[in-house]
Amino acid sequence: MAAWLRRRRGLIPYLFLLPGGLWLVVFFVLPMVTMASVALQEGTLGTGFTFTFNIGVFPEVLGRYDEQFLRSLLYALVVTILTMAIGYPMAYTIAFRGGRYKNVLLLLVILPFFTSFIIRTISWKFILADQGFVLGTLKDIGLLDDGFRLLATPVAVISGITYNYLPFVVLPLYVALEKIDPRLVEAATDLYASRLQAFLRVTLPLSISGVFAGSLLAFIPAAGDYINAELLGGTRETTMIGNVVQTLYLTNNDYPQASAISLILMVGLIIGVVIYTRVLRGQELTV
Amino acid sequence: MAANASAQGSLRRPRRDLASAILPAFTGLVVLYLMLPILVMIVFGFNDPRGRFNFTWQGFTLEHYANIFTSQPRMNEALINSLIVAVVSTLVATVLGTLIGLALTRYEFRGRGPLNLLIFLPIATPEVVLGASLLALFVSAGLARDITTITIAHIMFNISYVVVTVRARLAGFNRSVEEAAMDLGADEWTTFWKVTFPLIFPGILAAAMLAFAFSIDDFVITQFTAGVDQTFPLWVYGASRIGVPPEVNVMGTIIFVIAVVGIVGWTLLQRREQLVAEPTRTDR
Amino acid sequence: MRDEQRDSSIERAIARAFNGGRYSRRTFLRRAGKGAVVAGSALTLPAILAACGIGPAGSGSPTASGGGLVGGGEPAGTLIFANWPLYIDQDEATGESATLQQFEEETEIAVDYNEAIQDNQEFFGTIQPALAGSQDTGWDMIVPTDWMVGKMISLGYLEAFDVAASVPNFVANAADTYKNPSYDPDNAHSVPWQSGITGIAYNPELTGREITSFADLLDPEFEGRVGMFSEVRDTCSLALLHNGVQPKDAVEADVRAAMDVLREQAPLVRGYYGNEYAQELASGSLALTMAWSGDVFQLQFDNPDLRFVVPEAGGILWVDNMTIPKGAQHPNDALAFMDFVFRPEVAAQITEYVNYICPVPGSQEIIQTHAQEAADGGDQETADYLTSVAESELVFPSEEMLANLHSYKVLTEDEEELWNSLFQEITQG
Repeated sequence: MAAWLRRRRGLIPYLFLLPGGLWLVVFFVLPMVTMASVALQEGTLGTGFTFTFNIGVFPEVLGRYDEQFLRSLLYALVVTILTMAIGYPMAYTIAFRGGRYKNVLLLLVILPFFTSFIIRTISWKFILADQGFVLGTLKDIGLLDDGFRLLATPVAVISGITYNYLPFVVLPLYVALEKIDPRLVEAATDLYASRLQAFLRVTLPLSISGVFAGSLLAFIPAAGDYINAELLGGTRETTMIGNVVQTLYLTNNDYPQASAISLILMVGLIIGVVIYTRVLRGQELTV
Repeated sequence: MAANASAQGSLRRPRRDLASAILPAFTGLVVLYLMLPILVMIVFGFNDPRGRFNFTWQGFTLEHYANIFTSQPRMNEALINSLIVAVVSTLVATVLGTLIGLALTRYEFRGRGPLNLLIFLPIATPEVVLGASLLALFVSAGLARDITTITIAHIMFNISYVVVTVRARLAGFNRSVEEAAMDLGADEWTTFWKVTFPLIFPGILAAAMLAFAFSIDDFVITQFTAGVDQTFPLWVYGASRIGVPPEVNVMGTIIFVIAVVGIVGWTLLQRREQLVAEPTRTDR
Repeated sequence: MRDEQRDSSIERAIARAFNGGRYSRRTFLRRAGKGAVVAGSALTLPAILAACGIGPAGSGSPTASGGGLVGGGEPAGTLIFANWPLYIDQDEATGESATLQQFEEETEIAVDYNEAIQDNQEFFGTIQPALAGSQDTGWDMIVPTDWMVGKMISLGYLEAFDVAASVPNFVANAADTYKNPSYDPDNAHSVPWQSGITGIAYNPELTGREITSFADLLDPEFEGRVGMFSEVRDTCSLALLHNGVQPKDAVEADVRAAMDVLREQAPLVRGYYGNEYAQELASGSLALTMAWSGDVFQLQFDNPDLRFVVPEAGGILWVDNMTIPKGAQHPNDALAFMDFVFRPEVAAQITEYVNYICPVPGSQEIIQTHAQEAADGGDQETADYLTSVAESELVFPSEEMLANLHSYKVLTEDEEELWNSLFQEITQG
């Protein structure tokens, strides 16, 4: 077989791509095409939906939900920064100082996921409760005002999203950092770079692919997240675009608007990623 | 020059000690942060509430542990379903995704742009839309919704995550090692399995772990594509309407303990293998 | 040798996809043209699919509710049943449901019981495409809340049956309140499973005083400690009652007035909750909140201070109902089960565990008998528990309480749209 493959070398990439690509085409592209057509339909559940090429739906939802769109992007940005700030040092430590405990630490990072999101959130609500053992104690001592609360605020929502996406940032970062040959860093320090310089000039640029992947894995799902806002937030002050999509789809049964918003979100994120790519591209060339 | 070097050396030492301490301490704190809700969950598995809610501490009991395999049969069913789906979808998605990752990083072909877009889009799409559109597809195809459709959906979104993670590892992979192997007479197949694969394995493993985590915890997409079968997150979410029973905490704790024991056991096993294989080698 | 760094990163590939180097007008137009072709063909694809009868979700017109009644036949031997979690009696140690076991023994119908409903709308979202396409949803019996039953009836998504012929125990044993409800005249499509009250729960330690009416939820004194429901029918109905309007009589002007009240209240509200309010109430984050009776009954075990009241102006009595979705494979088995649970002993058995309002008044006595039996047998804890169930107003509301309870308004599609859009502005902005 190896010989047969060698003769048709050009085919190899296509063969590799075929199974996964086909899966995505059937189970993603096809449904997405359907969704795109639904976005352009009009109607209701009772009277049925008809395809009217209602392109006006896009400016309509953008105008109506601009606040939620922007808020989601903002929250996603904060989450990305936070997860990077927490995740990078963590991944660095695991990759470079982990030694034989590397895999253990990595598994510890994703262990929370085995316990189901609802349990984790309920636990957080217990920890952060107004009169709970954290805030309650601080209030009793007098360090905090009695009316202070963490839950049902943007802080709680962002913290929730950060907590839940941290592992997804640590893993790609680890993967990128792990492949860096430590001798490169040694070489740099041998050449009189300080440890900080060695980090900034050698390690960081070499790990950029991990930073890129990690920040994408944090930003994009965070922008579309709804469950944290639903369970840890509360009112219009914390409503994200994901909540809007959820409500439009399930409560209002307004499938066209829900689909339109999703399309806008997808396209917006793609554009954002392209811009981000070009910025990072600039960085990489300094290696 | 020599004086410079030693001066830098002495300046370097105290900073290194501090830095050496900060990073592991930080990591420890982060692990603690990650585990905090888990600790709460474990504690409440021992709670003995009089009512059906498990929100306030009432008293200590082991009865939930005693009955864990019988008292909530539907929860156990849901958990088994979750595990099956997670294992199958992780295996399939990791294979498919790694293949794509390899193709993207090592070969020339046309359609690279659209392919990258295709991989990236599932991550960018809100889950409710992914789930709903998949459901519509299954219905039009006349496919009954059960554990199979859940698995199909999980494989779909996991492929993207695997590709993104594996690529971070494959990028910058130094092919000269492969060339060296081939120069020494290995054919491509052998080279791949004996040289390349072991080197990229950490990345593939990390991608697999990510996929597993996504699958076992997924809620929204699963909700739409599940039918007659429940998964653990679905069951827990539904149960929270009436009151999350302590059995959920107990199950979570058991899973956690099994995972921890598994990790510790595997680490010890690895260490013993290493010592046996290379007793004179010093670890970094 | 190719440089891996240059062509392997996702960023480069995406960048290349979108700008591939320099853009000349010609390349732009060419790409735009290509894109248009792709987009155009993508859009005609659904048209083709639709022509083949494979439409997007919701594109099917509602199936006519003609097609006759189900029932009157022999059970097939299988029942695939979707219910809310923890909504049927369950043995603490074995996890089995005595009700299901007894049913299976007596009728030899195998019950595939699934706790698949987490939320009315979410569950509806999962079965709607099949119903729109006139396909079997996979379920023989489901338990939506009354307003969802009304909605599904209007869409033609539920099978109809002759309740007198197929579910005689219901006719014989159920309380009159549940007969011929506004959302399902003559019980042609549904019979109650359990019922509950939407009212106000509060913690007197935190509120400092007694809470008696909806107006208390509007009191600025409780800013940031007030909980409301995210389900518009619950919240708006209470607001309508507060304004002196019966939900079933409400016209558009009434609804707008009620929404104005809610809009004014919004800055005080901590959150618009689904089921999560219970934890906030238990932990003290909420001082007072809209609540469901069964939840509070349970919470009171752990915190006896908590109180539940029906607002002075009126509360809501809601009902979760057993229904048969259109296209179900085993409707006769479903009907057999419906009849079974309306036996007072069975109804008592379920209510003893679930603690929501039982539609069969006769079960109260039975529960008291069970309590007595437990006491006689020396099991004081169970006896106390059963007594508290039998005597609780939350499980067996008094006539007085029932008189102050109302049903949701059955909304037409236009009304639903109005309610939803006005409320969404308040909860989501």
